[in-house]
Amino acid sequence: MLDLITQLGIGFVNCATPINLAMLVIGIVIGLLIGVLPGLTLVMGVALALPFTYRMDVTASIVLLTAMYVSGTYGGAFTAILFRIPGEPIDVPMLWDGYTMGRRGQAAKALGWTLVAAFGGGIISAIIMVLLTQPLAKFALRFSSPEYFTMLLFGLSSVVALGRGALADALISLSVGVLIGTVGTDPIYGAYRFTFGSPLLADGIEFLVVMVGAYGVGEVLSRLETGFASKPIEKIEHARTELPSFREMSAVKVPFLRSSLLGIVIGIIPGAGATIASFVSYGVESQFGRRKEQMGTGIAEGIVAPQAAATASVGGALVPLLALGIPGSGATAIILGAFMLHGVQPGPQVLVTSAAMVYTIFASLFLGLGLMCLIGYFAIRPLVKILDFPEAIVSAYVLILCFIGALSIRNSVTDLWLMIGFGVLGYLFERWKFPVAPLVLGVILGPLAEESFKNSMISFSNDWTVFFTRPIAGTMATLTILVLLLPLVRKWRG
Amino acid sequence: MDHSLFRAVVPYVVGLVLAAVLYVYAGQIEYTPRPGQLGPAVWPQMAIGLMAAACLFEIVRKLAGGRAETRGIAEILSREGEAEDEPRFPLLLVGGIVLVTVYAILLLVLGFIVTTFVFLASFMYLGRYRNHGVIWATSAIVTILCGIVFLRVAYVSLPRGTTPFDRVTDAFLMLPGL
Repeated sequence: MLDLITQLGIGFVNCATPINLAMLVIGIVIGLLIGVLPGLTLVMGVALALPFTYRMDVTASIVLLTAMYVSGTYGGAFTAILFRIPGEPIDVPMLWDGYTMGRRGQAAKALGWTLVAAFGGGIISAIIMVLLTQPLAKFALRFSSPEYFTMLLFGLSSVVALGRGALADALISLSVGVLIGTVGTDPIYGAYRFTFGSPLLADGIEFLVVMVGAYGVGEVLSRLETGFASKPIEKIEHARTELPSFREMSAVKVPFLRSSLLGIVIGIIPGAGATIASFVSYGVESQFGRRKEQMGTGIAEGIVAPQAAATASVGGALVPLLALGIPGSGATAIILGAFMLHGVQPGPQVLVTSAAMVYTIFASLFLGLGLMCLIGYFAIRPLVKILDFPEAIVSAYVLILCFIGALSIRNSVTDLWLMIGFGVLGYLFERWKFPVAPLVLGVILGPLAEESFKNSMISFSNDWTVFFTRPIAGTMATLTILVLLLPLVRKWRG
Repeated sequence: MDHSLFRAVVPYVVGLVLAAVLYVYAGQIEYTPRPGQLGPAVWPQMAIGLMAAACLFEIVRKLAGGRAETRGIAEILSREGEAEDEPRFPLLLVGGIVLVTVYAILLLVLGFIVTTFVFLASFMYLGRYRNHGVIWATSAIVTILCGIVFLRVAYVSLPRGTTPFDRVTDAFLMLPGL
């Protein structure tokens, strides 16, 4: 324990370097802005920032992306409460009680509740993240290739089963992602796969091109097709935050703790991120809360539950990412991508080889939460003011950032063409309601899963039963089957 | 077959045909086999198989007028918050795809600075924004900012353009005070 506190202390010191602090502030501000803007999703924002971390130190880039991730779960609440515009899907439950409280003339108090919930939920999840990551990583050191493969399989199946969209569509999306991940030279045989004679494809398709294309260009094309039709917003001169009193906070401590813990657990489960945490937490409060009958009428519990769970899910999601190298959601997949861009493979070894970096990231989450609330409290008006920006202008800038991101990978226009292609694919996915997250996770995790699958087959003489007969691998394989059956059971039960 | 059913089935038929073509293509990957080891085509063929099975399942389900599809948990939870259907403008979409394609074509000829400036202004007009002053001013400011940050600070190797357009990039790089 003492060692852990010492490491975290060193992490705080490392985090206080000018570059890390600058990245923290920039990440928080950009994350809040992304949360506020309905056209920009949290995952898309993190994906757009990824190419710009190329030339940065790995710690600084992860600090930037994590800060964007955590503050993105908070910024959208402003517009949901003030204008009934959820900046992110996470913020939809905020419309039911947050906006209703605002309509009663208590918008400032509603914003105060979101601030308290985001800060408290975030801090609890950060503490649990610090306590849980190392033991989990130590446990994962026992893994060999069958365990790692079944773990990856579980991560991929959870994304399919717990995500948005029809199960079959999610499986198709995942398969396409895995296939894209196979393009290039096979690492064992040196054979060219799906390169179609192109020398550039022989090096494989950079997952960054897929991410930026599918999330960035695809999303802009989808919005362009609707003519950038945004709802007109009301005047914002009176937007401010009023913190609840200690007595008021004390009255909601049970829903707050319940939602925070729920958020952490949901964050840890691969595939279930902030959106699910927010909805599930609101649902639990509506069914089991002390004032369940009043939910939806503008009460504090209806604001605290989704917000605390959404922000708490961030710390939870970072646990499997850092300890096992398994991203559960779109945003953590991109953060995994950032690690890999810098030649760092998160997983059990990362706490041994790069402990200083991991604890700096931990410390940045604590500092980031404080900073997020300070900026959210004092700068709410300028943050919300960004809604005055016409979507056509913002989208044009987003596209230019996508182009630069693609060009900066290998200084090749071919990557730009590929990105445009994946942008059109992303649009088609959006149009036909295929989820994009499994595609992106397939591209990133597919090659890792293939490697561990082939290693298992080589080590165990092509014996497939190894995935079921070893205790940990068997448990993970069973969990994979169960998680895939979960939506079917839900459907069957109506 | 009614029109809506046809539209619902088309993506899966396309997916199935694509899977068949890719499966055959994967079978033609050239390599020297090693005894006791799986070949390089096994993994992609597994993914293709999964894709084909999912497509086939959906085609059969839709044609048989099957019950409602099985959805992910997040979908069930968040359906309440989904926005109502917005009007669509296919011509804007086609215009957007043409614009990004033209950007990629012209980038090597005109260079980053000129292409980006023209693209920004064109996209804003395409997005039905009509404040001419703001369009041209913000296009110019963002182009200059991107040029400074990526060409002069971060040294990203962005295309300079061919003669005579490369002179614009050269002139930009030599601007004093930037």
